[in-house]
Amino acid sequence: MTNISDIKNRYSESYNSMLPTLPGLELDWMKILRDDAIKQFHQDGFPDKSVEEWNVNSFRGLMDIFYNTQQENSYEIDLSSIEKKDPDCLVRVIFNNGKIINIEHDELPEGVKVNSLNFFIKNNPDFLKGKIKPANEYSESRLSNIIDSRPQSIVALNAAFHEDGAIVNIDKNIEVPGYIELMHIGDYTDNTMKHIRSVIFLDKGSKCEVIENIQSHKNNNMVFTSHVADIHLCEGATLSYNRFISGNSNNIHINNVHAQLDKNSKFISNSLINSEGQARNEVRVNLLGQGSSSNINVLMMGAKKSMHETLTKVKHATKNTKSEQIIRTILDERSRGSFQGKIRVDEGADGTLAEMSGKSLLLSNDARINSKPELEILADDVKCSHGVTVGTLSKEQLFYLQSRGIPENQARKLLINSFSNTIINNISKILIKRAKNFILGEFNEND
Amino acid sequence: MTIALEIKDLHVEVSDKKILKGLSLNIEHGEMAAIMGPNGAGKSTLASVLAGKEGYNVISGSVKYLGNNLLDMPTDERAAAGVFLAFQYPVEIPGVATSTFVRTALNAQRRHRGEVELDAIEFLKLARAKAKELEMSEDFFKREVNVGFSGGEKKRAEVFQMSMLSPILAILDETDSGLDIDALKIVAEGVNKLRNDKLCGIVITHYQRLLEYLKPDTVHILADGKIVKTGDKSLALVLEEKGYQGIIEAS
Repeated sequence: MTNISDIKNRYSESYNSMLPTLPGLELDWMKILRDDAIKQFHQDGFPDKSVEEWNVNSFRGLMDIFYNTQQENSYEIDLSSIEKKDPDCLVRVIFNNGKIINIEHDELPEGVKVNSLNFFIKNNPDFLKGKIKPANEYSESRLSNIIDSRPQSIVALNAAFHEDGAIVNIDKNIEVPGYIELMHIGDYTDNTMKHIRSVIFLDKGSKCEVIENIQSHKNNNMVFTSHVADIHLCEGATLSYNRFISGNSNNIHINNVHAQLDKNSKFISNSLINSEGQARNEVRVNLLGQGSSSNINVLMMGAKKSMHETLTKVKHATKNTKSEQIIRTILDERSRGSFQGKIRVDEGADGTLAEMSGKSLLLSNDARINSKPELEILADDVKCSHGVTVGTLSKEQLFYLQSRGIPENQARKLLINSFSNTIINNISKILIKRAKNFILGEFNEND
Repeated sequence: MTIALEIKDLHVEVSDKKILKGLSLNIEHGEMAAIMGPNGAGKSTLASVLAGKEGYNVISGSVKYLGNNLLDMPTDERAAAGVFLAFQYPVEIPGVATSTFVRTALNAQRRHRGEVELDAIEFLKLARAKAKELEMSEDFFKREVNVGFSGGEKKRAEVFQMSMLSPILAILDETDSGLDIDALKIVAEGVNKLRNDKLCGIVITHYQRLLEYLKPDTVHILADGKIVKTGDKSLALVLEEKGYQGIIEAS
């Protein structure tokens, strides 16, 4: 156990010694962004339970362990040891221990640019300017008009320390064939942290599908990773952003998505989480343009002593926007889960349609879920609904299945599967097989 | 004819309340037995006990099915051994397609009996043939199990499942409840098509009308947890005329 303020000081010291190696220092704005971010983190520290967005569970090992950015293991890896790229995948970017080690693709269609953050810093820094925002711009603004930066202190830590990331830039009216995969693998040394900063920009009328595939590490050291993705969809653009998040019991993974949507754009966010460790998934969507819409689908599958959290915040900032959130949580053994979902409708955002459904299935007496749906509605002409339920497997349904000859174990699997299908069936055709494989070995009954 | 099901002096409690109080009943292969009785007599309890539902406490008595002690078998094994309960209120299972459900059930039973499982194509072929026999549309294969089904559709789906699983002992628990005359006729015809030398049926009903179509071989009156009178199908007609009270008093 180390004193928390000592640890904050150590991160600041670590930042100063790391600084020369961090990318983008030649860009004034990036240097300022990093410096301001570490100051903000030093002021706020890791969010504890006094922060509303973090008041359900305590992350084990987050605040009382100092994580080093220095990675003893090399970033090199024998590429032939990695599973082959799916033929439907247009571009695959492989990160090993938090750094891009390979980008695979055949000939890229014109207007599709996928590369590392470092590549863009060197070759097209103007593109990045303004897309990675100063840390304080991610602060929560509360109903009381208080601006609170504490919930986003890990985004600040990420802004200070990020060493790499993926940049996806799709030109006007380009429909990307297949999908883009951002694959993360690792065999980190103990007490390591890595921060990934990505930008996805879809110009007007373009369409793209991305999967962020976060695999379990090869060892089970205490590792803390944060991924922050800034997404901007211009008028009429459509993005499907899929995150499959695995992890080992000693892993802490914090994943933040910030999406801003212009007129008539559409954002689909699918997250499947089956980490054995601690994983937190945050999705913030700003519906800024009329006719824009977002769908957030989340499936959390916890077992053993895992802890999964999802936080959503969908902001309807203008007239005639639409959002839907479907969150399903299945918890077994001693696992923990939390869902905090917020729909915010700004003043004047009439014609808003917003729905939220959170259902949880507890398979064990020791599993715990906390669900908190919130609506903040400041406009008059809106249609918002939210529903949250927590339950166990239905005895009536189990008996019905068993009375037809299905053994209890298989009947349970079938019912659990049907529960998760609500999310899986929303995944696009091109990725549904991968989604099913991802949850296989968890709860999926292969028939 | 050989006896398929032999219930001897069965006493059953549900939440500390005695429901069956010494029920005895024999059913032979090929026999269709109707069980009629007033509300609360224990008809549905009998069906649940035979299918193996939790919460039914057998205090004494025995149930022999095909020579085995039925009460010792878990629910799914009873099904694999040929016991089928058509539910009074079929259960909805959102997220599971009817065809997936029936195929999973059929293959689980086959696996249990050491038979080869059916692949998707073989299954579909069989399901289509059975649906056709029952004059049912194939649309419902894809629909979620019983979700949004009308009362008639639910009961027909039960008969379809029964037909797919080809049981030896079929228990129809108030299959006629909630059905209009046309639906009743269709369901009864469906059941009649499944009758054979081996199949024995227990038809639990309140009304004589279902029996007009199903033509039971025996009719048993269940009152206060016991069979109080047994006869042929004319007993149902007497019942219609005199009511349960008249028959119970006379017996």
